[in-house]
Amino acid sequence: MPNDILVIVEYKDGGVRKVSLELLSRAKEMTSESSSTLYAGIIGYDVKGIVETVQAFADKVISVDSAVLKDYRWDTYVSAAEQLVRKFNPSMIFGGSTVTGKDLFPRLAARLKTAIISDAVGIEWDNGGPRIRKPLYGGKIISWLTCKEGVVPVITFRPNSFAITNRSLNGEVIEESLEIVPDSRFSTLNIERGGMQKVDLQESDFIICGGRGMKGPENFQILEEIADIMKGRVAASRAVVDSKWRDYDDQVGKSGKTVSPKVYVGCGVSGALHHTMGMDTSKVIVAVNSDPNAPIFSYADYGVVGDLFEILPVLRDELIKAKKEI
Amino acid sequence: MNIIVFVKQVADTEARILIKSDQKALEIENKYNLNFFDEFAVEEAIRIKEKLKDGQVTVCTYGPKRALEALRTAIAMGADRAVLLDNTGLEADDPLIVARILAAFASQDGFDLILCGRQAIDDENANVGPMAAEFLGIPHVSAVVNLEVVDGQGVKVESEVEGGKQIIEVTLPALLSAQKGLNTPRVPLITGVMKAMKAAIPTVDPTSLGIPKEEIGPDASKVVTLSYEPPQQRPPVKIIEGQTPAEKVRNLIKVLKEESKVL
Ligand SMILES: Cc1cc2nc3c(=O)[nH]c(=O)nc-3n(C[C@H](O)[C@H](O)[C@H](O)COP(=O)(O)OP(=O)(O)OC[C@H]3O[C@@H](n4cnc5c(N)ncnc54)[C@H](O)[C@@H]3O)c2cc1C
Ligand SMILES: Nc1ncnc2c1ncn2[C@@H]1O[C@H](COP(=O)(O)O)[C@@H](O)[C@H]1O
Repeated sequence: MPNDILVIVEYKDGGVRKVSLELLSRAKEMTSESSSTLYAGIIGYDVKGIVETVQAFADKVISVDSAVLKDYRWDTYVSAAEQLVRKFNPSMIFGGSTVTGKDLFPRLAARLKTAIISDAVGIEWDNGGPRIRKPLYGGKIISWLTCKEGVVPVITFRPNSFAITNRSLNGEVIEESLEIVPDSRFSTLNIERGGMQKVDLQESDFIICGGRGMKGPENFQILEEIADIMKGRVAASRAVVDSKWRDYDDQVGKSGKTVSPKVYVGCGVSGALHHTMGMDTSKVIVAVNSDPNAPIFSYADYGVVGDLFEILPVLRDELIKAKKEI
Repeated sequence: MNIIVFVKQVADTEARILIKSDQKALEIENKYNLNFFDEFAVEEAIRIKEKLKDGQVTVCTYGPKRALEALRTAIAMGADRAVLLDNTGLEADDPLIVARILAAFASQDGFDLILCGRQAIDDENANVGPMAAEFLGIPHVSAVVNLEVVDGQGVKVESEVEGGKQIIEVTLPALLSAQKGLNTPRVPLITGVMKAMKAAIPTVDPTSLGIPKEEIGPDASKVVTLSYEPPQQRPPVKIIEGQTPAEKVRNLIKVLKEESKVL
């Protein structure tokens, strides 16, 4: 049985999402190892540009392009994805563990009456089947999972789990026209997207997070400046969100988002367990805190003990310099 | 309006979790709570009932006997009725199976609206809600932050989407998953706690819901756990030295460039 993989691609503002490129890259390594085919499924309306980008990453790019798929809705997208799975018979289906992914993939798995493994962070072949790495209990435990023989699992992965490798393939484009009927029991009255966010928090390579030590909302300006220099995002602790200094969308931690950027910088964040559970898989953790005994220093790779109001302006200026040198 | 709330009892964030020596099982310290996001679901169900001055709020969990505590918390908050679907001797974790059992219960019990949490903080799946809705053949909305009942026939909800919010109108019956921000869960009053302590909570055997035992038994899951391991330990923190803030920052930039190569 071939070990074909189908990646359901997500895109945003006319570009393919980073998480999808990561999944395509890892899936391509896996299908190469097992001499099988990597399919990329693109569901939407007017997706030509997306198809072109994805061609470089997949053997076959299936495009389901229809006006009825203009905005994401689980009913139409599940229906399209289900039909692709039934037609192309992959051995696994990959998707991103994103806001949309968390809505779409469980419903798809239930429709297919198949296993779902969500929020995974790694996968490899092991004796002909997949071996999947998934953290549990906020990262306190790592589990390794597989599926029984013949099961075609839906697997969703956290953003930043894999590196992107563009193989400059020229994947064959397959255009599918499918019958898709929207569910008449619900209708979207309005969609509001908060002013074109730079990068999605979970996909960001660089996160600078402000805690209560930032003292007030006005002081986040310097974090914004640093995030801009690094093309990253500002995040916040729950104490900050509860004080309404920042939106809930920015919250990192147990009751907020789980992030694993290349660099996480915590500024005036104490490092409570509820917070660190959301960021301790970051590759490099830097902590700036005036209290040398702050718990965050037991999670950090590098610690700067000092007053953040003295440290941050210099950090901003030095980062500008460092970026210029490259 | 009949509202069913799916709730899960989860290990407290602070609970100690040990991996057994065969690496195949976990030992969890006996510290459990009602799942963080499920509190919003319970609260919202009670608010709807209070507002409509009509209806019943039933909380239900598929779990072991100890999960009765989570049900009692919900009763103390104001739920009318609780049911434990006892998972003793059955598959406990596979969302496909959990959702199927919860759906079978809901369909037998009858409902207009189902509420659940956005995700459980132990497995962080966010699977059970949409999967149960699929098994029931009803629409769902994930990550709801605002809810309004429209003339008993439908609900108008605001929910989180990628980078923003959307407003959706759904006809009932439907399933909604609760996101933080939906409401502020109440702290139970003493009278509620007393009532919850005395409440008789019936236990239902999931095999009585019309699903063949072998499809929910201990070997029924299509997923197999190979092993558990602790996360990789980080090396101890390096405190960046320097006489002045500027010197510290320069030393930091240096290690980020040369040692961890992230700049
Ligand atoms: C069920 C539950 C869920 C939770 N979920 C989350 C979650 O998702 N995310 C989250 O973040 N928290 C969460 N929390 C809260 C968490 O337990 C902590 O209370 C919170 O993270 C603390 O935020 P903080 O670090 O910003 O504030 P504090 O703990 O008050 O820390 C402020 C820090 O700033 C430092 N500081 C002060 N002034 C300066 C200065 N001038 N220069 C440098 N440093 C300075 C202090 O030394 C201190 O370490 C949750 C709690 C519960 C109970
Ligand atoms: N065993 C269970 N019993 C009842 N409800 C559950 C159970 N597991 C999950 N849920 C509900 O489904 C939501 C999402 O859970 P999960 O898919 O595990 O992240 C939870 O917040 C609960 O409301």
